[in-house]
Amino acid sequence: MNAVKLFAWLTLLFPLAGCIAVGLVGRKLPGRGAGYLGTGALLLSFLSAIGTLVKLQGQDEHHRQIVAVAWDYAHTTGLDAQLALLVDPLSVFMILVVSGVSTLIHVYSISYLDSDRGYVRFFAYLNFFVFSMLTLILAANFVLLIVGWAFVGAASYMLISFWYRRGTATRAGIKAFVINVLGDVGLVLGTFFIFRHTHTLDFLSTFAHAKEAFKPGDADLTAGCILLLVGAFAKSAQIPLHTWLPDAMEGPTPVSALIHAATMVTAGVYLIARMHPLFELAPSAADVGAVIGCVTLLVAGTIAIAVTDLKRVIAYSTMSQIGYMIMGVSSGAYAAGLFHLMTHAFFKALLFMAAGSVIAAMAGQQNLDKMGGFRKSMPFTFGCMVIGGLALAGIPPFSGFFSKDEILLMIGDRGGWHWGLYVAGYVGALLTGVYTFRMIFRAFLGEPVPEALELEAGHLHHAEVHTNPADGEVEDTDVGFPGADHHIAEREPSMKLAMGTLALLAVVGGFLQIPKVTHVLDSFLAPTFADSKFYERDPTGGLIAFGLVLGAAVGLAGIGIAYLIWVKNPQIAASAQRRLAPLHTLFVNKWYFDEIIDLLVVRPAQWFGAWAQQTFERVVVNGLLVGGTTGVVRAGSSAVRAAQTGFLRYYTLLIVVGTVVVTFYFLMNS
Amino acid sequence: MTLHLSIMLWLPLAFGVLGLFVRSHYAGWVAIVGAAATLACAVLCVVDFDASATGLQFVTNEPWIRELGISYKLGIDGLNLFLVALTGILWFSCTLWAKFDERTHPRERSQLFYFHLALAETAVLGALLAQDLALFVVFFDLMLVPFFFLTGIWGGAKRVQATMKLVIYTLVGSLLMLTAAIATGVIAAAGPPDISFAFSDLAQRPLSTSSQEWIFLFFAAAFLVKMPAFPLHGWMPDGYRAMPLPVLAVFSGVLSKVAAYGFLRVCLPLFPAASAHFQTLLLLIALASILYGSAMAFTTTEARLVLGYSSVAQLGFITLGVFALDPQGAQGAILQAFNHGLVVAPAFFVVALLAARSSGSEDIRDMGGIAMRAPVLAVVFLIIAFATLAMPGSSNFVGEFYILLGVFTQKIAIAIIASSGVVMAAVYGLRLYITTMHNRTGPRVESRELSFRDGLVVVPLVVLVLAIALYPQFALKRSARTVDAITLPVALKTKALAGWTSYAPLKETP
Amino acid sequence: MDIGWFLAVSALIFVIGVSGVLTRRSPLVILLCLELMLNAANLALIAFSRMHGNHDGQIFAIIVMVVAACEVTVGLGVIVAMHRRRLPIDVDELQELQG
Repeated sequence: MNAVKLFAWLTLLFPLAGCIAVGLVGRKLPGRGAGYLGTGALLLSFLSAIGTLVKLQGQDEHHRQIVAVAWDYAHTTGLDAQLALLVDPLSVFMILVVSGVSTLIHVYSISYLDSDRGYVRFFAYLNFFVFSMLTLILAANFVLLIVGWAFVGAASYMLISFWYRRGTATRAGIKAFVINVLGDVGLVLGTFFIFRHTHTLDFLSTFAHAKEAFKPGDADLTAGCILLLVGAFAKSAQIPLHTWLPDAMEGPTPVSALIHAATMVTAGVYLIARMHPLFELAPSAADVGAVIGCVTLLVAGTIAIAVTDLKRVIAYSTMSQIGYMIMGVSSGAYAAGLFHLMTHAFFKALLFMAAGSVIAAMAGQQNLDKMGGFRKSMPFTFGCMVIGGLALAGIPPFSGFFSKDEILLMIGDRGGWHWGLYVAGYVGALLTGVYTFRMIFRAFLGEPVPEALELEAGHLHHAEVHTNPADGEVEDTDVGFPGADHHIAEREPSMKLAMGTLALLAVVGGFLQIPKVTHVLDSFLAPTFADSKFYERDPTGGLIAFGLVLGAAVGLAGIGIAYLIWVKNPQIAASAQRRLAPLHTLFVNKWYFDEIIDLLVVRPAQWFGAWAQQTFERVVVNGLLVGGTTGVVRAGSSAVRAAQTGFLRYYTLLIVVGTVVVTFYFLMNS
Repeated sequence: MTLHLSIMLWLPLAFGVLGLFVRSHYAGWVAIVGAAATLACAVLCVVDFDASATGLQFVTNEPWIRELGISYKLGIDGLNLFLVALTGILWFSCTLWAKFDERTHPRERSQLFYFHLALAETAVLGALLAQDLALFVVFFDLMLVPFFFLTGIWGGAKRVQATMKLVIYTLVGSLLMLTAAIATGVIAAAGPPDISFAFSDLAQRPLSTSSQEWIFLFFAAAFLVKMPAFPLHGWMPDGYRAMPLPVLAVFSGVLSKVAAYGFLRVCLPLFPAASAHFQTLLLLIALASILYGSAMAFTTTEARLVLGYSSVAQLGFITLGVFALDPQGAQGAILQAFNHGLVVAPAFFVVALLAARSSGSEDIRDMGGIAMRAPVLAVVFLIIAFATLAMPGSSNFVGEFYILLGVFTQKIAIAIIASSGVVMAAVYGLRLYITTMHNRTGPRVESRELSFRDGLVVVPLVVLVLAIALYPQFALKRSARTVDAITLPVALKTKALAGWTSYAPLKETP
Repeated sequence: MDIGWFLAVSALIFVIGVSGVLTRRSPLVILLCLELMLNAANLALIAFSRMHGNHDGQIFAIIVMVVAACEVTVGLGVIVAMHRRRLPIDVDELQELQG
């Protein structure tokens, strides 16, 4: 086996080994042993990913798509699924981001989850998640992709429901899982549409055959691609399949950072980038993706301004940022979308970690209304939060600035109706600045709350009675709360290490791709996108300059507005809320998506189930069919039984009459 | 070689009879040894099976009733190989379970219990191995007898009523099948001396389309009742409630598969024209089973019935695969039959364990929250639950993938509606898991970990589930050749019958 | 003599026997009537035997007598047993075989 394949397999298998090892021996290890074991496995995985990168770069430019086959998975009657990995620049880029960010989040979790009763379980799950995510990325065919796709859904479910004594957590978990399964089904059906024409499940063969099998704009291909998009939307929380993501914040904060910000939710972006040869043949499907991405980024931005739960603000901001990415990769801005995926992983993971620190300082409280003035007591966290916030709002020279502008630049360069997306993107950028700094200002500036004062005095606040922040229910102390004795970033070196690294990356990550200056990602990813008609485009210098200036201005304007409303004149917020009451209600209630889905899908299903249970089963199945059949049998047997009177002479008479009849019959016939 | 199958077939019964003559304490062990020996034979068959050969292997063929053309013909091919293996595996596990179960639930007349259990295994194996229609019918009806006694004597509350319902309902189906079987043999034969019931002979003598059609319907009725499929599942809730759990595990795991197998073995090869003609009807029944079974499974609160209705839905998928009438669908149906049996038996076992932890109640509202103190049990159940809902990565997913792909190429609308069953499976699968394992601990729930004996029963099954998930090709490649051979004649017939639910026929690619 | 006469007598006795079985309620009388029916058959058999001039019919008749003897033995035994158990000696009262 050559070195690339070996390293790719190692990257994939280290987290699996870590999961099994933590699961089996984690409980026997002293102290934080399970955490170190899980983190070690991830570190090895990351090193293997680097090894894969080095070895892949050593290959000739035209041989950078390598398939590593283990064995046949389902290879009969026309199917050709193998257990195989596809190692190419795109997948290597993704495994680097995923294993790298995962390692840092593991490092953070070593301290953060220290006081939790489910410490060992947490690391086993987290390793399993990384294994699943790497499977998804490295899959060389549709079947394995779907397997990875579903595994990350399952891992996400397990981690959302991590504190499983909380009713809110188990409900959020099942919601996330079911919506993700809906996405899986979309993928499966999409695969069917494509397989019907290409007769292969392997990615490279599919792409190779796609040009002959499909005419541009082929109806089957468009249907297939739209179904693939359903999968992508479900995983990446795009409208209307996004409702699980805010609820997913029930999970521990490192989970939100890893799965629901940095890695899993970006799988949809990866999927579209991976399937670009198909989407380019089905432009209307790609347009659907672009429009939905655009709508999501706006809707999520508006909700993020209104909600008061710290983690949910970041969650909606994640939705919004993924909207940018989906819009980008659907419009042919592949490198830009993936670039934003990477920078977003850095700064969003950083924001969540900082938020985790604040929540720990508040002893589990997540409500922004109850926070304030943490700047002095948590300077390190504040610094990280600001760096992350600036990167998110797209302020130069932070990483988000370059990546977001590159997406919008490429979209603007497409021209035509894409200009609408371009404008919407900048409106979204304004919203981003507002909600990001609303969150930061409200948590860190203003009058210090009692918890902040306590922390300044050197004492970390602990709640007397732990309650579920979502519904106020008193926690079950077995499992179901983050532990009595929690930690915050200010005091824990491992948390500081993880956040510091990410903060650094969030600052410098953007320099990989400065327009007209550097193009590291562009040229690295080129072999994967060699056949794309959108890849090698060169926007004019004027558009580039205009975009950069506008982006920076809009971001700063957003921060300015936030400053004006929430710091300078706090009464503006209240009066705006009053004056725009209907709009505020709409935003706070998240545009009523939950209620609409409940009304359209959940209730009819429940109603049908109840009706089947109570009426149909009793009347038709049991009454008519079973009752009917057994009734006929019973009636028949009781008729026969009636002949058995028990009177001897009656029997005799029957015999005599019978004999006579038979005799006469034969006499007549003879 | 030819001795093989007869030994495997009669071995359980021999040990069952032997068990009648020992003290009641040892009867269970005798039955376990018998089941283990049968399992060993089945494993030997799988190992010896030649995947590249077409046609039957390990054939035994003796004339039985020469005048009526009935022969004692047994054989294994890709269709029944894994069902035979499944039978061996599940009977071994469940016999072991029944034996361990005696410690907490003392059982009267246990010799008789194990005798009936063993008789049931022989009957099931006979129905699976039979390569003669008359022999198949005999064993198919014989299957009912031991379950009549097992439910009627050792069952739970309301067992007599449930047993009568079960027996009468399924007997009606069996009678139809008997009529149809005789008619097949008689109509197919040119004259009395020529009569034969062997499948290989019958396949050579196609019936006229009109006789195929009514005969097919009679067989279909028998199989659909046995499965059970919507709307003929009326006996299922009462029957499932009354059966002792070890018996229910094999009943649900294996007997329903025999019915699905019957479609593949009898209906498709012998009545190709009728199968093509009634394809849409059967697909709609399968679809209704999927939707109805799923809807019931996520509203009922009895743990056994969640599994029972989920079986209705899963059998719907299997029927869907069979009546896709193309190789992929049939391939998926066979794999799925094996998978579902392998998953549903440990699921019933877990239900028994859960009931033992919640003061004997099998209502999921009385359960909850035991994952904390029973992590191994939680992991085992999680794997089973994921496999039940056909999570990608499990072998069940591969089966459903094949089935849906097969239906998709034939009847696209049905495939798309059926795929909603996958989503609903996620709802009821997780609901069962969460309400029993997560949330707050119920007031009468006692959290206990899996005992060593429990582990002995359930862990091997779970390991097997994982193994087949990692390498489903093992099963697929052994059945592929037979599947191609069986579906080919029917697939040709369906080409002409594309209806509103199908795609326009594809242009042949040069 | 013409065989018709023999058969007529045989038929007459048989009908008497049948009507006895059908109308009487005492098991004892029913048994007697059964004997009548059997002997009517015997008469017919012997008549045919004579007509054909061989012994087949007579052999049949002897076998019938043996069977009749057995039947009477069992029948009387049943009646005695019934009497001992103080059951009514009346076939209309004995109808436990009713379905």
